[in-house]
Amino acid sequence: MAAPAIRVGRPVEARASRGLWSDAFRRLLRNRPALVGVLFIALFVVTALIAPLIAPYAPLAGTLADRLQPPNTAHLMGTDLQGRDELSRVMYGARVSLVAGVASVVMGVFIGGLIGALAGGLGGKVDSVLMRVVDVMLAIPGILLAIGIVAWLDRGLPQIMFAVAMVNVPIFARILRGSLLSLRESDYVIASRSLGASGFRVLVRHMLPNSLTPLIVAATLALATAIIDVAGLGFLGLGPPDPRTPEWGTMLTDSTKFLRQAPWLIIFPGLAIVVSAVGFNLLGDGLRESLDPRLKQ
Amino acid sequence: MGKYIVRRLLGAIPVLIGLSIILFAFVHLLPGDPATAILGQHATPERVAAMRAYLGLDLPLWQQYLGYVGGLLRGDFGSSVINNQPLLRELLTRFPATLELTVAAMIYAVGVGIPLGRFASRHAQGWSDGAVTVVSLLGISIPVFVLGLTLQYIFAVELGVLPAGGRIDPRANLHIQSNFVLIDSLLMGRPDLFIDGIRHLILPAIALGSIPLAIITRITRASVLDVSNEDHVRTARAKGLKEKRVNSRHIMRNAWLPVVTVIGIQVGGLLGGAVITETVFAWNGVGRFVVEAINNRDYLVVQNTILIFALVFLAVNLIVDILYAFINPRIRYA
Amino acid sequence: MALLSVQDLVVRFRTHEGTIHAVNGVTFELEEGERLGLVGESGCGKSVTNLAIIRLLPKPAGRIEGGRVLFEGQDLLVLREDEVRDIRGSDIAMIFQDPMTSLNPVLTIQEQMVETIQAHRKVSKEDARARAIELLAMVGIPNPAARLKSFPHQFSGGMRQRVMIAMALALAPKLLIADEPTTALDVTIQAQVLELLAQLTTKSSTALILITHDLGVVAGMTQRINVMYAGFIVETAPTAELFARPSHPYSVGLLHSIPRLDEEGGEELIPIEGRPPDMRRAPTGCPFAPRCAWRVEACWTNNPELRPLTEGGPVVMTGPKATHRIACHNPPTPNEVRGGRPLRAGFTAAPPPAEMLDELSLAPAEVTADLKGLMAGIQVEEGPLSVYPSAGGLPIPPEPERRNDGL
Repeated sequence: MAAPAIRVGRPVEARASRGLWSDAFRRLLRNRPALVGVLFIALFVVTALIAPLIAPYAPLAGTLADRLQPPNTAHLMGTDLQGRDELSRVMYGARVSLVAGVASVVMGVFIGGLIGALAGGLGGKVDSVLMRVVDVMLAIPGILLAIGIVAWLDRGLPQIMFAVAMVNVPIFARILRGSLLSLRESDYVIASRSLGASGFRVLVRHMLPNSLTPLIVAATLALATAIIDVAGLGFLGLGPPDPRTPEWGTMLTDSTKFLRQAPWLIIFPGLAIVVSAVGFNLLGDGLRESLDPRLKQ
Repeated sequence: MGKYIVRRLLGAIPVLIGLSIILFAFVHLLPGDPATAILGQHATPERVAAMRAYLGLDLPLWQQYLGYVGGLLRGDFGSSVINNQPLLRELLTRFPATLELTVAAMIYAVGVGIPLGRFASRHAQGWSDGAVTVVSLLGISIPVFVLGLTLQYIFAVELGVLPAGGRIDPRANLHIQSNFVLIDSLLMGRPDLFIDGIRHLILPAIALGSIPLAIITRITRASVLDVSNEDHVRTARAKGLKEKRVNSRHIMRNAWLPVVTVIGIQVGGLLGGAVITETVFAWNGVGRFVVEAINNRDYLVVQNTILIFALVFLAVNLIVDILYAFINPRIRYA
Repeated sequence: MALLSVQDLVVRFRTHEGTIHAVNGVTFELEEGERLGLVGESGCGKSVTNLAIIRLLPKPAGRIEGGRVLFEGQDLLVLREDEVRDIRGSDIAMIFQDPMTSLNPVLTIQEQMVETIQAHRKVSKEDARARAIELLAMVGIPNPAARLKSFPHQFSGGMRQRVMIAMALALAPKLLIADEPTTALDVTIQAQVLELLAQLTTKSSTALILITHDLGVVAGMTQRINVMYAGFIVETAPTAELFARPSHPYSVGLLHSIPRLDEEGGEELIPIEGRPPDMRRAPTGCPFAPRCAWRVEACWTNNPELRPLTEGGPVVMTGPKATHRIACHNPPTPNEVRGGRPLRAGFTAAPPPAEMLDELSLAPAEVTADLKGLMAGIQVEEGPLSVYPSAGGLPIPPEPERRNDGL
């Protein structure tokens, strides 16, 4: 008998069994930019959730006498054209952005995921037809597609969510399809096929769970663009039908004519959009790096 | 190579058909009565009847579709319901403005983005790389309208060094020929107007070009780093080539490939962004036209603008694909 | 004077995860026209040693922290960058493992060969081209003039490696370093490529360093073998001598872990247990001790030096009469060599001293000398990379499809 070898360090199996997700989570905790992102997102989400509790004024209350006050102790972000408190409006605005952003991404992941799963899972004719549809959607610049949909369905928050969702649908569809296609060729899927597992079972049990990671990363990054898209529609006058609704993009449009007199009305809603978008972009990049250790550049 | 181009051209056909169906549905299947939706509630019955006839609403749907496509092929884009002007002519006079803006933005994005990405990759992990990463993160996260308004405030309102909007000083007596300010001013032999045109272009181009700039910077950096780690670069060094040659012939020649693809995709973003930028900077292009049309519920204008933008985008991507094949021998000699 | 003399070469990699001790004082020599095999498991420092010789370690992580590399008497480590560049590709050429990735995919074979020649010789493009045709014919590429215009992807793997060989020999180098030149090739092609290498280097009396993890490859190719483990040379001997009398437990293990057809009785294969050591720690004892069946107490604390197997007489560094040397406190006896395990009555491998047991069990994850990863410029985070692809999830592209909505 050869002397038993003393193993240095933990065996490989033990490490692997801890799982991709817990490993990824550990790496994420060490990723400083991603943590900054989480901080920004938390600021955004918490503000949205508790806006009624922390906003110093009602978002629609204001008198013309108070109009266009620069930032001061009573109004930390100044007041707008109607004398409403800008800080309170920015806080309430987070609610619209959060709801519309999250809803549109969820909707987009669902529709896009369905298209991608059908295309990548079934292949053949279904795949080529669905991918042509995706190509057509991609041929229309994102914001124009959203504008068209809102113009067609008329103004309203649900319409905005749907429009922004449709902008992301082709991206999610392509990502999921791409993952499924490359997984179809992977050894373990071929192995389970050869062991007699049915196509559907292989798709649901093996392929879908493994193809979700790229989709999750894409969805996180899409939250950033969704918030920007929602504000962009608002800026173009396609925001919520009630023009008084505190919505960041709409607030910016209202202020463009007073750039000289009241720059704070541009700065603060703009900053709110940027902080939220930076948050999701940082988290998305961090997630991507954590989920794929080879990527640490 | 020839086969590849033919295949790509044929591949565009289903997309064009799909696009025409969607845009057809956009007008012909408007909720409620399309004619009333287009003309508004207060239109006279005669006008509604005329619109119904124009759209062929009493015909079967497939005939309406064929009529629409036939019209497009004849160059009949319909007329604006606001001023009854033929749309094609309006679009053609405005398109140069949009083109001027997007080309300027693209020059800015590519001209700054690629050197910046290369710079960052050379100093990977250093503080200057970090700085570039932060800048490109901001570039991606700042919406065009926020950046545009901010630039306007700083450079036009506060510093007063650049104009806040428009394409040229309104007092300038520009003789319009091509609708490109920069070309018309030169045709007039007025370099002063040319410079004025450039001054008007700077802020909108920066606002519009910043997202593509950030994306191009990131992809260039990632691509150069990627290629730098490839075996063949080590081979090139082992052959005793000068570092400059290793960079230009062995790293950059390969690193270009993904960058070119991304530049093509960015054109879509630029066309979409033009809609917003033109609104912010009172730029009289197609983008501003479509925003006005939406507020006027001028559906035909919206439909045709989307069509034009999509066609330009498809054409550019086709060109980029062909260019890609030219610089990538694995496709050229596949 | 030896053509190449590597003296006490020390190479370390500075990474986020600590310092990797890749090469820990390697000394060897090479005569003109001599063929030397460098053998060991992946990550043992063979490739790093050779990249250090031509100063192509990945920057900024890889650093030469000690030693000298004399080439024709000139220390390469003190030369200016442009001086080394003149030597690279002209006096010392290299061939790498994977012919699929070692050629630039966007340049024609002609462009790649001509630029090599023109980097070192003042010749016209036409002359360089003529030379390239000559070289391709020499390595057995049919219709060389036409194939010059081809791109790498238009060649098979074996043909690409022939192109690599042609390019490496373009300037009649005095030394050719071949790093696993046949590992990526089909077995049938392997033999052809090795044969070609042997034939060409013999004809031009080019010295050859053949790096491989496969003892079968060096057997017929080289005159002498250095066995490396964890950044040390643990045994060196003329090839025939090493195969006849392997004397370091690691070499014994290597020979027992490959099937041999020439021995009677279908000998049992004995794998080497355990894994290579964590190269982040500066070695204290013998690096092979944790895996060694012959270890004695001294092995844990005292790293043995490379000493002649039989004492007495001068040490010969090169040539077919080179002294057989090993670094071992308790070399196996000839019987044990044949048996592949200790046969002395009552002998058991010495347990690690108490204070080291702690250290061993506390050793964090195994950044097992993943020099391959480092060489590729990838910062190894923790653990072998191969763990992840099977653990779920797809590789995510470095830059995602990030839609620019135009906002």
